Amino acid sequence: MGIRFARCGRVAAVALAGLIVAGCATGRLDATKPVGPEAQKIDGLMRLSGWMAVGVGIFVAAAVATIIVKFRAKPTDDPDDLPPQIHGNRKAELTWTLIPTAMLVGLTIWTLPVVFDLAKAGAGPTIKVEGQQWWWQFSYDLDEDGHYEIVTANDLVIPTGEDVNLELHSNDVIHSFWIPQLNGKRDVVPGRVHDWRIRSDEPGIFYGECVEFCGLSHANMQMRTIALADEDFERWKQEQEGGQAAAQTAPAEGSLEAAGAALFETHCISCHVVDGTYESAAGGNANLLAGIAPNLTNLMSRTAFAGALYETYLQGPDGEYLRDSGGNLVLNIAEMREWVRNAPEMKPARADNQQGMLDFSEVLTDQDLDHLMAYLKTLGSPPVLP
Amino acid sequence: MAIITDQPDSAGPSTELEVADGAPDHDEAPRTGVFARPTHATGWREWLFTVDHKKIGIMYGAAALFWFLVGGIEIGLVRLQLWAPDGEVLSADAYNQLFTMHGVTMVFLVIMPLANAFANYLVPLQIGARDVAFPRMNALGLWIFVFGGIFLNLSWFLGGGADGGWFAYAPNTGMAFSPSNGMDFYALGLQIAGIASLLGALNLLVTIINMRCPGMTLLRMPVFTWMILVVQFLLVFALPVITVALVLLTFDRTFDSNFFNVDAGADPLLWQHLFWIFGHPEVYILILPAFGVVSETLPVFSRKPLFGYPIVVLSGAAIGFMGWGVWAHHMFTAGMGPVSVAAFSATTMFIAVPTGVKILNWIATMWAGKVRFTVPMMFSVSLVSMFTIGGLSGVMHAIAPADTQQTDTYFIVAHFHYVLVGGALMGMFAGIYYWWPKAFGYHLNDRLGRWHFWLMLLGFNITFGPMHIVGLQGMARRHSVYGEFDGFEFWNKIATIGYFFMFIAMTILAVNIFRTWGRYRRGLEPQAEADPWDGRTLEWAIPSPAPEHNFDYVPVVTDVDDFWHKKYQPDENGKLRRIANGNDIAQRGDQHPHLPSPSYWPIVLAVGLPLIGFGLIYNLWIAGIGLLLLVGSMFGWTLEPATDPDAGHGHGHDDGDHGDGAHDDDHDGGPNGHDDGNGVLTSSTGNGEAAGD
Repeated sequence: MGIRFARCGRVAAVALAGLIVAGCATGRLDATKPVGPEAQKIDGLMRLSGWMAVGVGIFVAAAVATIIVKFRAKPTDDPDDLPPQIHGNRKAELTWTLIPTAMLVGLTIWTLPVVFDLAKAGAGPTIKVEGQQWWWQFSYDLDEDGHYEIVTANDLVIPTGEDVNLELHSNDVIHSFWIPQLNGKRDVVPGRVHDWRIRSDEPGIFYGECVEFCGLSHANMQMRTIALADEDFERWKQEQEGGQAAAQTAPAEGSLEAAGAALFETHCISCHVVDGTYESAAGGNANLLAGIAPNLTNLMSRTAFAGALYETYLQGPDGEYLRDSGGNLVLNIAEMREWVRNAPEMKPARADNQQGMLDFSEVLTDQDLDHLMAYLKTLGSPPVLP
Repeated sequence: MAIITDQPDSAGPSTELEVADGAPDHDEAPRTGVFARPTHATGWREWLFTVDHKKIGIMYGAAALFWFLVGGIEIGLVRLQLWAPDGEVLSADAYNQLFTMHGVTMVFLVIMPLANAFANYLVPLQIGARDVAFPRMNALGLWIFVFGGIFLNLSWFLGGGADGGWFAYAPNTGMAFSPSNGMDFYALGLQIAGIASLLGALNLLVTIINMRCPGMTLLRMPVFTWMILVVQFLLVFALPVITVALVLLTFDRTFDSNFFNVDAGADPLLWQHLFWIFGHPEVYILILPAFGVVSETLPVFSRKPLFGYPIVVLSGAAIGFMGWGVWAHHMFTAGMGPVSVAAFSATTMFIAVPTGVKILNWIATMWAGKVRFTVPMMFSVSLVSMFTIGGLSGVMHAIAPADTQQTDTYFIVAHFHYVLVGGALMGMFAGIYYWWPKAFGYHLNDRLGRWHFWLMLLGFNITFGPMHIVGLQGMARRHSVYGEFDGFEFWNKIATIGYFFMFIAMTILAVNIFRTWGRYRRGLEPQAEADPWDGRTLEWAIPSPAPEHNFDYVPVVTDVDDFWHKKYQPDENGKLRRIANGNDIAQRGDQHPHLPSPSYWPIVLAVGLPLIGFGLIYNLWIAGIGLLLLVGSMFGWTLEPATDPDAGHGHGHDDGDHGDGAHDDDHDGGPNGHDDGNGVLTSSTGNGEAAGD
């Protein structure tokens, strides 16, 4: 009997260990692994309150367990005999009112300064964030002249080592901006501008998503923050501006790219902008419910497309980027091509209600898609990775 | 508008004649009315036209359990979708509808009416009354609730359920973003259900305040009735707020108004404030009845009085008050500014104090007792422990910065399911097993009950426990899919497995109900005794099942737990000993006092409301028909004869025999108010005749 129990115990221990390992394999949105200082402050409060909760929980559980074990009625009890009839105790009531109150006063005192601290603006640059069904746009006004020199989507590129102020706008419904490892959430409310602050002192990619229910494709409204060291951030800015210049050079006549550009002009520019070349949609098409579609000027410089649902470049199973023999990133051309052909298949949308990209599968031939892909490949240089 | 008079077994002359004959005590001739009133309804009519608070309570419970099945199946599909990354069981659209309708169903069609079932059935019994103050209004509330629930769910067959979340944040619920009729059914369905709740709340308020039996001062009232009283106050003040919000939403959607149109200058936070000013008190509306239930069961099964009765009552009332000052903790990320956030963060922390006090008092109640772990007691103890977990994670969200990481993740989902399933539902299950013999005259099967309990407790923790972890790991709520690299798969599989444990547990409850009922009908289950648990409150002082008239004579109480004190008295050494068996001293239930008659009008009037709802969605002409029915029914209601002289008359009905009539006028105010002609029926048998009308 003893041996059997021991074996059971061993099996259970192994199973439990397996469970813990499997359960602790966390992903890229883990709020308990803070990186930015804001997230770390919040994490401190979460741990403090978490351990207090665990402590109180253990106390209550121990009391309940004692009752179950010790104060259980026994069959031998005289049914007419009663346990001591205690109607209450003023001292006890006072004690268990005051102790929790004191604990909560402590927690409140700990909390309030953090609330005010997190609401302050930082010293660094300001980036405009726009949420819309169902993707994020980020605009940079580098020289603070009111004109946004860089307009990108899905990838929020920030410098390291300084506070970055975010100006949150919504073009349709309420969204919520959340990069768990850098800071908590902040709702993005139409008609209001909300300020938020993030900071990372080390380069890296931090994943995030919309966390306020915003309609059909809410689950697919993701984004990522790419924190770059100073020199990388400078390079990224230059390449973004270089991409605009390059887009103004028309592709050589008769090339695949030129054919693609022609198709782009026919089918895409009523929603998509390419700075310097196709600006008809600039400022937003008033008829488009979900605001403008992503600005594609530097499409190739983004690590993700389609609301950051799909990677622009192929990755291995461990998340490392694959590279060709020349050391270049490998374009995820299959999914990008499929996206252009029939976007609603890959991300739920209501194009008929002007929410999301249209289905072009009846419009574009395979050859058209080849041409379009060739043109899209000319838009921008590869991403700057941390 | 001719109504067929129901003339069952006790054939007799027409109703009008009966009235004339049957009210000899009256000076003035009775009002006979234009519309005949059903006399003795039998069979299904007995239920459709009843004004008996006990039948109404049972129907609330049956409807709630039906919707519990619906809401459970809805979320089962959601759990299947989340079994694996990039789930393909449901489309995003279907997923959004299912989680929305699951929330709406569980809150408005399951937990609220379950609490209402207990409140309706038990409040009159616990305060020694023969019925609620307004029996027909009580029936009206039930039928409006029933039709409101059906109306809401008809959306599934008429273009899809609501898809904006149960919280329905504007402007995502506007016509532009939610063009199907789902949100219309949501807004109008909740409006209809709200009318039902409001009617019920007013009725119970008047009942509790005015109809307590002689001697039952407020601080001698059973804690369950106390919690129901607090909840009715919350309902009366909270429902108007959601009513306003839903009217605005309906106007925006139906008549193109601009309450939530941002382009026209609206601030969408208006909706959030309105919704949560209702929504947070709503949380206490959901949980306090369960607190009331366990405050009854814990003392009974520990064989001790409730520890700190006045403190438990006052902390319940305190929760009711403080519940109004915490709504914006649902909006910590909404951009209210740090001052508001700080203020609501602090108030939210301190609402934990009265809640914690309650839990500690319950523990002290059981401490040093002789605890009998019956099925209702097991559910009650699991409320104490599981609700505590939900309460503690609630304190974590009160810390506003921490909440910005937790809100809209599965950590919050775990939190409020520990509160609403681990708390409210566990309490309701305790109540079902505890009061079943009183309502139906037999016990639910104990072995099946234990299976139900253990599978429920296990399944509940397997489902919602992991959500704490996966929520902190960043899994957002209301996402129809998650990615394979997010690391959410393992715990979601566990949670889905847990769901099936709970599903089996609920199936066992269903089997228990139907099987035991069948056995009882075939005479295989023993008749429950009047006082099977050695109870403390008045409902145990009458036979099981409770007779239609509740009390043969109106009890007079002199203490908290008065019935218990009639069974236990100090012996010569001052030690409490049993002096009587509850079953022996319980009333016999063999009197036949006058009772309010059934009525056609509550159910007919209630049909008018969903018709108006359809009219607002499809064609105003339908609303016109609904309105006509509504107004017509009001006339019918007013003009129908005030009472049925046949009911309860002439069956060994002797004035004063059992009446305790002497007490009637000795006690303050309401308890013995007489019928005003429409069945406000409270007085003792002695006055039964006069109470007729």
